Amino acid sequence: MGKLKVYADRMSQPSRAVIIFCRISGIDFEEIKVDISKGQHLSPDFTEVNPLQKVPAIVHGSLKLSESHAILVYLASAFTGIADHWYPTELSRRSKINSVMDWHHSNLRNGAVNYAINTTLAPALGRQLNPKAASEAEKVLLSSLKTLEDIWLDGDGGFLCNGIQPSLADLSMVCELMQLEVLDERDRNRILSPYKKVLQWIENTRTATNPHFEEVHNILYKAKKKFEQQRARTAETGTSPSNKTGGYSKI
Amino acid sequence: MLKVKVYADRMSQPSRAVLIFCKVNGIEFDEIKVEISKRQQLSPEFADINPFKKLPAIVDGRFKLFESHAILIYLASAFPGIPDHWYPADLSRRARVHSVLDWHHLNLRHGAAPFVLHTVLAPVLGLPLNPQAAAEAEKILISSLSKLENIWLKGNGRYLLGGLRPSIADLSLVCEIMQLELLDEKDQERILGPHKKVQQWIESTRDATRPHFDEVHKVLYKVKEIIRAKKSNQGDGVMQSRTKTPLASKM
Repeated sequence: MGKLKVYADRMSQPSRAVIIFCRISGIDFEEIKVDISKGQHLSPDFTEVNPLQKVPAIVHGSLKLSESHAILVYLASAFTGIADHWYPTELSRRSKINSVMDWHHSNLRNGAVNYAINTTLAPALGRQLNPKAASEAEKVLLSSLKTLEDIWLDGDGGFLCNGIQPSLADLSMVCELMQLEVLDERDRNRILSPYKKVLQWIENTRTATNPHFEEVHNILYKAKKKFEQQRARTAETGTSPSNKTGGYSKI
Repeated sequence: MLKVKVYADRMSQPSRAVLIFCKVNGIEFDEIKVEISKRQQLSPEFADINPFKKLPAIVDGRFKLFESHAILIYLASAFPGIPDHWYPADLSRRARVHSVLDWHHLNLRHGAAPFVLHTVLAPVLGLPLNPQAAAEAEKILISSLSKLENIWLKGNGRYLLGGLRPSIADLSLVCEIMQLELLDEKDQERILGPHKKVQQWIESTRDATRPHFDEVHKVLYKVKEIIRAKKSNQGDGVMQSRTKTPLASKM
């Protein structure tokens, strides 16, 4: 079987989760950059890999696979020597991890991604900020954070479902939350600071997966700086932000 | 081991999928009805089973689980004698089933559920119709159906991913689409009409899971009659009566 190919854009949260997982697990893989801001995910070549035209996607031998959770689960099962805590063999524990990952889609992801787009990223994507959509997304995001704090992070484990080590679900969801880095600092604090367990859990996951976590998130910190400068300029001159920032449809 | 308990409301699509799966596979279970229309899912007793107050949920011995996909995977793994096609042991095939299941959340489900709510169910639930939300949901629904038709149902198999037998993904997604039965015929034709493979696939899945499929969907046909009767009453200028229809917030 040929080397695993990972098609990814590090500005996309699920792409980051897959890359971090490969690195931390010592999986030998080739990262193929699909730059969403350049529309590369819509190219015929990439459509051949993933007809849904989304990143991440992988090719492993004859298998082409999309959807980050499916990819993570596959990698954890197909490669040898992956630590059991990522996707536990024990059925009840594994089922709980599946349950959080299912919950994620319509809750944390749905809230976080739409909030970030409609408060911050839209102009960079050539779209208008949409305050109404932002306020709806905020509701979903806040309710998801509360659920994380009170239910999924219940217990002393430090990870989801009272785990003492991270699972695929921790990695996926923390990468999702990391996109809030691009928000205005005050706004980010307003949203995250009431959730102490969530903040601690982000740190735990970062620590457990460093140095890969920080390295793969570098691009996000750069984008954060860009947005900060842009906000400062806007505050000084009163002009609206330009459309020149690299935009990412799957952020 | 005690029988597995399935907490469900047959008006909820994911509840139906879990019930049909148990029946088709001869899993011994107790169905415990939690009526969403009576807000029974918000009761303290049920919150003890599922803190998210959503259906379906299962209890197997001391183990509690929610999220229908996680439940289906658990049942397919925990009970002996479940035919392999439901959740294939082969890693690549299993990974592709996961991929459809993951895709479902923010696509088909994200379109179908709000579309039905905002076109037919809202008045029955005493909510105002929201044409804008309906239009947005319709876009997602149509795009999801087109992806089903052109990508997921590509090939000569009768089921998703070219399968010759149904998987848990077929069951979950077809149960989701079945709620379109509640739409008036013109809308149904407009939305489903162009998707011939999707229609054939619904029939194949129904055939493969008879008689349980029809039995578990009976409640849906009853509600359809009620909606229709209500409409023709309104057409006759009869005052709209306060409804006693058992309608589910998780439709």
